[in-house]
This record gives sequence, structure tokens and C-alpha cells, in this order.
Amino acid sequence: MTKRKTQPPAEKKGLLSVLPLGSVGQDILRIVADSLQGILRIPVDLLEAEPLPPHTFMEARNQYNAMAIIRFLSENHSHNSFKTLGITGKDLCNPILTYVFGEAYMNGPSAVMSYHRLHQGQTEDPVSREQFLDRVVKVALHEIGHTFNLPHCHTGRCVMRASNNLKELDDKLNYLCDYCELFLFESLKKALDVHRNA
Amino acid sequence: MSRKHRFMVVDDELIVRESLSAWLEQEGSVVSKAESGEEALKLMEQNFYDVLFVDIKMPGIGGFGLLQKVKELFPTTLVVIITAYGTVDHAVEALRLGANDFLVKPFDPEGLGLLVAKLLEHRRLVEETQYLRTEVTRYRGGLDEIIGSSPAMVELFETIREVAGSESSILILGETGTGKELIARAIHANSKRMGGPFVPINCGAIPESLIESEIFGYEKGSFTGAVRPKRGLIEVAEDGSLFLDEVGEITPKMQVDLLRVLQDKRFYRVGSVEPLRADFRLISATHQDLHKKIADGSFRQDFFYRINVISLRVPPLRERREDIPILAKHFVKRFAMETNRNVDSIDESAMKILVDYPWPGNVRELENVVERAVVTSRKRIITADAFAYLMPGVPCVPVTAAPRSLQDAEVAHIRSVLEESDWNISRAAKVLGVDRTTLHKKIRKHDLQPANPKNSDMTVPAK
Repeated sequence: MTKRKTQPPAEKKGLLSVLPLGSVGQDILRIVADSLQGILRIPVDLLEAEPLPPHTFMEARNQYNAMAIIRFLSENHSHNSFKTLGITGKDLCNPILTYVFGEAYMNGPSAVMSYHRLHQGQTEDPVSREQFLDRVVKVALHEIGHTFNLPHCHTGRCVMRASNNLKELDDKLNYLCDYCELFLFESLKKALDVHRNA
Repeated sequence: MSRKHRFMVVDDELIVRESLSAWLEQEGSVVSKAESGEEALKLMEQNFYDVLFVDIKMPGIGGFGLLQKVKELFPTTLVVIITAYGTVDHAVEALRLGANDFLVKPFDPEGLGLLVAKLLEHRRLVEETQYLRTEVTRYRGGLDEIIGSSPAMVELFETIREVAGSESSILILGETGTGKELIARAIHANSKRMGGPFVPINCGAIPESLIESEIFGYEKGSFTGAVRPKRGLIEVAEDGSLFLDEVGEITPKMQVDLLRVLQDKRFYRVGSVEPLRADFRLISATHQDLHKKIADGSFRQDFFYRINVISLRVPPLRERREDIPILAKHFVKRFAMETNRNVDSIDESAMKILVDYPWPGNVRELENVVERAVVTSRKRIITADAFAYLMPGVPCVPVTAAPRSLQDAEVAHIRSVLEESDWNISRAAKVLGVDRTTLHKKIRKHDLQPANPKNSDMTVPAK
């Protein structure tokens, strides 16, 4: 039997945007945009870089508050595109966690990710550029998955599996399992219908 | 995960509620948020929660106040205390009050993930242990399964412990639904024969024509259909206890046969001349007045003396009303577990209805009433409306004693169907799903007569 996958219809631009927050390497932006476009099969816009909003900096922790960044993106970018993923090289945390690789609300309009900690290897040496970019793609897909209402996946090595450290991040694959893919396309289809009627 | 876990984040800071609930929602869990202990308690009355994350410093009853209330009212819910200013004193106090863990904000994401996994695993193990413990107790039939702290029950427990060790026959007297079989199982479980089988026989449920072959067994060819030899229940009960429930229903012929077994400690399979050794302890039970049956000649006096070496009386529920709350709570816990429903307790007004009700069906009726309430309850606490039909003047369930034995129920049912069909035997037999001959036999056996002979379509044949 031929495996059939639910495919969303082709759409115009403006559905998903990748926003560099501060100075972000072109190779990072390109691989994130390409991966999202390849997996979600919708056009992804690469936006002009913007500085991180100063009010999101938590001086006491020397980190940026991911929740505050998401709120900023939702307030300032949701009219431009349906979902926005912010990328930064600064370290992120939230009021209850010491650090986060990324942050998103379930079914929310925006997500944010940081590659600040993704260079770290098991020894003092950083990991290869290839492994680093693989980690970046996994975090980006994972956070965008949450914005399409995908919860953490408990089967296999799906990219939606929770990863609270770099080893767990390395252990998972950089794509969705069949179930999560199905749920994502159902959610995407619903979102596109809403977007069209808006 | 087998089901969606339910969490609640209780914190007066919006940003903490949002961050922690967002993290938990990503796990696929259902998360509620409350900004005070009072709001949390209100939500808990409506829904079941697996784990609560509670901040210490909140206006109103505060984190520790909420922790105490939760442990008192909803003891199965786990509580994690969170604080921004962790001191050893706070941690000790939280654990002393029953908190399941203590976290200082901000948490390490890896630690939070491990903590949640550990708490849910702990919960699963507690539930599993409770279930297995109940099953083991029920299987072994120990005294733990009999619930009661009233003086009458305490005295009964003492008597059971005293008499269990002896080999004497025991007769248990008590109204229907008082738990006579549980008492019999407890006697067996506390006796020297506890390693042997406990074989219950409901004498009222086995047809007269079958009871002999069921109890004594038979040899191949002893009657039509005996294509292979079969062990009787007396043989099965070897080295164990034989429990004759509803012993008052036993036929005079069988009383003679059993009397012989009890005297000679030997018996014969149907169709055999080879004596077999009978080695069992006899426990009997009845709700009937055997003295009355002896007086009217339907029960043999010598058999009565043989089975009634020691007699125990199980008090009806109306004579031990102080046991109703603990029994009701026990049933709530059991049925909540068996039916997988999140019901924790019964409120005061509902309990008052239970305590005041006459309970003609005794503990069995209470068990059924609580099961119904648990299954139909939409809240965690069962309220008075669940038992409104038990109150006087509410005609939903008749308070008068309904027929309790299988035979009484059969007689009542046949009579009502016959009356409905104006004693038209063909019509009544069709409704009852039996043939006319069977219905005629039942009418003769139970000596049924039309309530109004003029309206009936038949003349009842002579017995």
C-alpha cells in the first residue's frame, strides 16, 4: 500500500517568518528557513534583523527572558506573518527555568530560540559546525511544532521529544515522526483556512 | 502516557503561572492556574489533579495553608512547594506538612523534567500498590476486609479469632447482605486450614436435582450424562473449609446425607460403593430462623445441632450505624479505583442520609448505593442529591424490604408476570422466556395462586 501523506495546499507568502534578533550568521538563518520550508511545505520569509528588545534583558541573571521576547514578537509581528520564529545568539531563560534552548506557547503566534548553548561539546572543545547546525534545526523545528499545537512526543526519537540537555537534543532526529507529521499537517491546514478567511 | 495528567500552578505572580503552565502544557498535560489558595481549593472541588505546584508566599491562606488543606481533603494529590527564597527552615516545614518536593525558583530544566517524571511514577506506583493490596486482601479474605469499629463488630472480630483455630462446625446467622460469606472467609483465613481451599456453595442456587452430584461428585455411568467421573465439592474442600450458604434451603434428604458425612467423616460419590475420606471444616450460614423451620418440620434437629456447634450472629447495619461512615468511605475508595473515577469523599449532609437510612439490604445495599453514586458523580465530593432517592417520601426506590433471596425474587417475578398477563400461561411463559411446562412446574412448586381468580385464564392445577 502506498503511504499517503496529508499535504497542505500551496500558499502565498507571509505565513511563517524567521526573524534574526541581533547579529545571526547567514548559514544559521538559511538552514533554519530551508528546513522549515522543506518540512512544512509552505513559503518561509527571512526578515531583516532586529535588536533584542532591551526590556527583555534580566540583569540579575545576565540572560534574556524568553517569555517576554515571545510576547514582544506576538505584539509586533503577528500582523506580518502567521507564525514568527525569533533566533538569537544570546542566552535565554524564563522566570522559572535557569535556561531554555527555545520557548513557545502551545498554538501561539510566535516562538524564540537561542543557539548560545548549542556549540558546547562534551569536552571543552565546541562541537563541529555540522553538529551545531543540526542542533539549531532541531530546536527551531521543535519550537515551531509547539506553535502548531504539537505537545512533546513520547515515541521514538521524534524531534518533538522533550530535550532538557544537549545529550537529549543530540539523541533525537531532526524530523517529525509519522504521528506528529500527521497532527502538524492537520493543524497547519486548519491554520491556513483561518488565515484565508481572515 | 496512558492518560493526560492534570496539574495546577498556584502562584500570585502571573509570569510564574504562565511560564510553568506553558512548560507543563508542552508535555501534553492539562494545566489549571490559580492565583490564590482559596481559588485552588475551589477548582479542586470540581476536578481531580495529579500534582499541584504551590508558591509559599501568597495572600490569603498562603502556600503552607493550602498544602495542609490539600493533604487533609485530597490526600492523593501530590504537592510541590515552590519559592524564590529557599531556606532550610522553609524546606523542612514544607516536608513536615506533607509536601512531596520543594523547589527553589528558577529551576534547572533537567531537574524539573526529572522531578515531574518521578512524581508521576510515584503516583502510578501508589495507585498500583493500593489496587494490589485490595485484591490480595479480598483474595485471602482476612479480617482486614471486614470493616467496622462498633462494639458489636469488635466483639464479633474477637469471637472469630477465638473460634477460627478450632475444628468445630460454625453457623453464621445474620440478615441478608450483612457479609456472612466474608465472615466465613475470615474464619477460614485465620484457621489451621488456611492453606487449603475455601469452597462456598450457595444451597439456594443449586437445583435440588443437581445438589447431590455437585456436593458428593459421581462415578462415570452413574446416571445419563455422567460420561466421566466428577469430584464433588466435599472432595474439592479437602484440608480446607466447606461453606454452605443459605443452609436453610437444603432439602431434608440432603440434610440426612450431610449429617452422615459429618458423623462418619466418610462419603460416597453418586453411583460408587467405595467410601472416600471427608476432611473439611464446615461453616454454614443462613438468614432464616432455623428454630422455626425445625418446629414446622422442614429442618432436621439433629442436623441443626451438628452444624451449630458454635454460632455467630452478624449484626444488621441498622444496629451498628456508627460503622456506616467508614464503610461508605471504604466503598468510595474502592469504586473510585475500580471504575477509574475521581471521587474522593462524601460530604456531611450526604453522609447523614446514609446514616439515617434503615438499610433493609444491609452492607450489600450500602455497597450498591455508593457504587451508583461514584459512577454517576460529576464532582470529586458526593453530595446529598446523589442519595436523595433514599429519603422518605421519594418514591424512586421502595424502602420496604424487597425479596432478597434468589428464590423469593423468582417467585415475585413470576407472580408479577402472571398477573400482568391475566394468568394466561402461554403469554406469561413467552414473556419469561421459558416453555409452558416449566412455568406450570414453577407455579406448582411455589404454590402460586391468582390474586383475583375471576380474572384469570386458568385454573391452577392441584399440587
